[in-house]
Amino acid sequence: MRVGVLGLGAVGARATRQLAATGSVDEVLVDDPDPSRVAAVVGAIDPRVRHGLHGDAEAPDVVVLAGPAPHLRLAEGWLRAGSHVVSVSDDRDDVTDLLELDGLARSEGRALVVGAGFAPGLSCLLVAHARRFLDTVDELHVAKHGTGGPECAKQHHRALAGIAVDWHDGEWQQRPAGAGRELCWFPDPVGGLDCYRAELPDSLLLHRAVPEASRIIGRMSATRRDRFTARLPMLLPPHPEGLAGAVRVELRGSVAGRREIRVLGALDRPAAVAGAVGAVVAVALGGDVAGLGTMRTVGAGGVGELVSDATAMLLELARRGVRAAVFDGSATSSSPS
Amino acid sequence: MKFLRRALLAVAGAAIIAGALRVRGKGGVPPQGGGWRELPLDDPT
Repeated sequence: MRVGVLGLGAVGARATRQLAATGSVDEVLVDDPDPSRVAAVVGAIDPRVRHGLHGDAEAPDVVVLAGPAPHLRLAEGWLRAGSHVVSVSDDRDDVTDLLELDGLARSEGRALVVGAGFAPGLSCLLVAHARRFLDTVDELHVAKHGTGGPECAKQHHRALAGIAVDWHDGEWQQRPAGAGRELCWFPDPVGGLDCYRAELPDSLLLHRAVPEASRIIGRMSATRRDRFTARLPMLLPPHPEGLAGAVRVELRGSVAGRREIRVLGALDRPAAVAGAVGAVVAVALGGDVAGLGTMRTVGAGGVGELVSDATAMLLELARRGVRAAVFDGSATSSSPS
Repeated sequence: MKFLRRALLAVAGAAIIAGALRVRGKGGVPPQGGGWRELPLDDPT
């Protein structure tokens, strides 16, 4: 299979490396507005990685959009060209627009996987995996900590100044970002961090994956400085790449009529995870790969919605170094939401 | 005028207290037991 990667920042370079390490991938075509990034990636990873992902060339089987949002135009173009598309965007407006390409994706007989990164992305896989072990799910709470590359840091900054949209008792509820504090406990050594509602796309994607949940809330960690300066321009330029990040999903539901809570999480560099998730999803879309399970290959949706076997995909991610964790214990949340 | 000054003072005081509460938050309860372990993907969680 041939896979294209557009955008060679912290996520795109990782996705390219992951794809080049996959036996079923014959060729990885990459492109980026910055020629130095292209040169660095093409020369360093694998002979199968080549520069050239132009509209006039034969469309790859799958295109991974790993550059800064918005991805709408690019996704539309590659769907029309006959490629499956994987977007790692975590911008809520962009995710909303991408989901509206469902009709186009269906008419072209192609899939558009939206939010295939760290959170959303790995978080959706964790939810889909944990969902299998509950009879009913009432509530989903997702929290993330950390950022990937500079674009991700800018998105983190914007998300704290926007409007959070949560699914609450059968309707979308808008709340100001930066409110709704909850002390969330991530896998060690990140531990407990204050998390707040933010302009995140998680609830949009998880509502499609788990429509029976009556409450879906996305949060992210933020410091006091983050919240005070959220509505100002970024005071410091974003770092090249953030340190360790973490994601945590909490499902509240029932098993055999008994209340149950499942808490899963993961700890890693967000850009590395996003690259791995984007690559694994692209490989799953491109063909029947043994042990990877299958994905719905027509229409637009999040990873948790389109994947048929989240456990198999988590296993593949674990083989690539992205390991998930489960919390055994009690009193996982500081307050009701 | 005196009433207006008192009202403004009260509003300013309330804003300072509200701001302090918003920044400080109300604390939280750490997990009382248990811990994280690697997710066993071949077994039910």
